[in-house]
Amino acid sequence: MLDFLLYVGIVASIYGIAAISLNLQAGVGGLLNFGQVAFFGLGAYGVGIASHRGLPLWMGVVGGIVAAALAGAAVGRLGRTLLADYWAIATLALAELLRLVFLNEEWLARGADGIGSIPGLWGAVSGTWRDVAILATVVSILVVVYLVAERLTKVQFGRVARLMREQPNLAAALGYDIVKVKVRVMMVGAAIAATGGALLTTYISFIGPGQLLPVDTFLVWAIIVVGGMGNHLGVIVGAVVVNLIYLGTRFANDYAKLDANTAASLRLLLVGLILMAFLMFRTNGLVPERLRTVDADGG
Amino acid sequence: MLTAVDVRKHFKGLNALDGASIDVQRGEIVGLVGPNGSGKTTLLNVLSGFTRADSGRIEIGDKKIDRLPSWEVMRLGIGRTFQAPQLPTRMTVMETMLCAAKLPTGESLFGAFLRRGKVREEEREAIERATELLTRLGIAGVGDQPATDLSGGQQKLLAMGLVLMRSPRLLMLDEPAAGVNPSLRRSMVNLLKGLTQGNEISMLIVEHDMEFVQRLCSRVFVLDKGVVVAESKPSELADNPRVVEAYLGKSRATEPASAAPTNAAGESR
Repeated sequence: MLDFLLYVGIVASIYGIAAISLNLQAGVGGLLNFGQVAFFGLGAYGVGIASHRGLPLWMGVVGGIVAAALAGAAVGRLGRTLLADYWAIATLALAELLRLVFLNEEWLARGADGIGSIPGLWGAVSGTWRDVAILATVVSILVVVYLVAERLTKVQFGRVARLMREQPNLAAALGYDIVKVKVRVMMVGAAIAATGGALLTTYISFIGPGQLLPVDTFLVWAIIVVGGMGNHLGVIVGAVVVNLIYLGTRFANDYAKLDANTAASLRLLLVGLILMAFLMFRTNGLVPERLRTVDADGG
Repeated sequence: MLTAVDVRKHFKGLNALDGASIDVQRGEIVGLVGPNGSGKTTLLNVLSGFTRADSGRIEIGDKKIDRLPSWEVMRLGIGRTFQAPQLPTRMTVMETMLCAAKLPTGESLFGAFLRRGKVREEEREAIERATELLTRLGIAGVGDQPATDLSGGQQKLLAMGLVLMRSPRLLMLDEPAAGVNPSLRRSMVNLLKGLTQGNEISMLIVEHDMEFVQRLCSRVFVLDKGVVVAESKPSELADNPRVVEAYLGKSRATEPASAAPTNAAGESR
C-alpha cells in the first residue's frame, strides 16, 4: 500500500508539473494546445538520448528543455495567420509529427524500441527509501514550478496573457503584439513540460514513441479541467485526483480479472466520463480560478 | 497629425470605404458622423490598423501606417476604443487598467523574478495613476470589481480610461457617448475638452449624438456609403443638403421644407 501511494505521489507530482505547464498556456493564455505531449516528450527524449549516447544526464535535461522552448516558440509563431481552432488542430498534428519522427528515425533514439535502462534519481539509495527520496525531489520541483507559474501569472507578464485570453483585440489596442505574447507563454509552458518529461523518464527508466501518444495530452487536459483551468493550485489537485482514479483502478482489475487491454481502455473511458461530467456540471473545476485583486502598494 | 487619402476597402459585395479622405490636425477634435452602415467604424478600423485597406494612403505624423499591424500603430501614441467595450470578464477593473500601463519589468520573464522591488515600484505608480484617472472619469471605487460587472455606461468610461492610461497623442473614439446617461455625457465632454487644452491631444470621434458632437468638435466629416460627402463646422451641419440627404434619403432632402435638419442637429440648442 505504501509503495502504491509513493508511486501515485510521484506520478501525480510529475503530471502536476505537466498540468501547470498546460495551465499556463491554456488556462492563463487561452491557447488551446492539443500537442502538449510533444514538449513533454522532448524533455523525456533529451534525457533518453543523453543516456543512450553516454552523455551526462543533466546535459540531456538542459538540451530537452531548450529544444522544447524553441519548439514552443515555433508553434506560438505559427498562430500568426491561424484562427484559434485551426491553431489547436495544428498543435495536435505537430505532436504526431514529432512522434512519427522518433518512431521512424532509428539512428536518433532507437525508433520503435525506445531507450531503456536510463539511470534514475537516487540510485545509491535502495528499497522504499529510494521512492521516498524521489517523491521528495519531484514534490520540491513541483513546488518551485508552482511558485514560478504563480508569480508569472500574477505580474504584468501573466496579466497581459490573461487579457489576450479574454480580449485579444483590446490587448492589441493597448499596443501588445499578440504573437509575441503567445510565443513567450508557449516557451515558458514548453520548458516546464520538458522538465516534467525528463523527470518521468528518469523515474520509469524508459522512453519510447509509445509515450508520445495524444492520449497523454488528453490526460493532462482532463487534469486541468477537473482541477480548475487558470488556477495553478487547482490543477495540482486535479493531478492528484485524476491519477488516484486512473492508477487506482489499475488495481481494481485484480478482482475484475479483465484482460489487460480491456481494462486499460475502461480506465481511460472512466477518465473521459469524469471529464465530460465536469464540462457539463462543474465547468470551472474543483478549485476555480479566482479573481486577482491588486494590492494598493503593488505586487 | 492624421491624414487619410482616398482610402478604399471592399468586403464581399460591399464597398465599405469607397475613396474616403479625412484629416485631423494637431490638438483638434474632429467628428465623424453618418448613417448606420456608412463605413464609420470600418474607417476607424483601417486608421488604427485593425483592418487593412485595399488602397489609399494613411499617415500619422510623417509615418505611413497603412501596412502596419494594429499593435504597432497603437504604439505610435494612438489610442482607440471600440463601439462595444471589449472588456475581460475574469479580470478586475484595476487589473485591466494595469494592462494599459507600461510595466516593462513585470512584463519581462526575468525581471519578474530578479527585480521584485522594481516590479512593485512600477505597479505602485501605475495604480496611483489608474486611481486618479478612474476618479476623474467618475468611476472611482470599482477597482476590485470584474470589468464586465460595470454598467454599460461605466464600461464606456473604463474603456476611455484604458486609452488615457497610455497618454496617447491621438485618440479615436467609437461612439463614446452611446449608452451613457445625459449627465455623464456632459462630464465626458468636459473631460475630453480638458484633455486637449495644452496637452496637444488630437481626437477623432465617431458619434451619433449630435449634441455631443456639436459641443465637442471643431470640424465634422460626414460619411455616406463609404465616401466623405461633407466637411463642415458642426453648427452648419443641419444646413448642408448633402448631410440631410445622407441621413434622410434623397426624396426628403429635395423637399423645400426644413423639417429634416432639425432632426439631424436642431434639438441641441
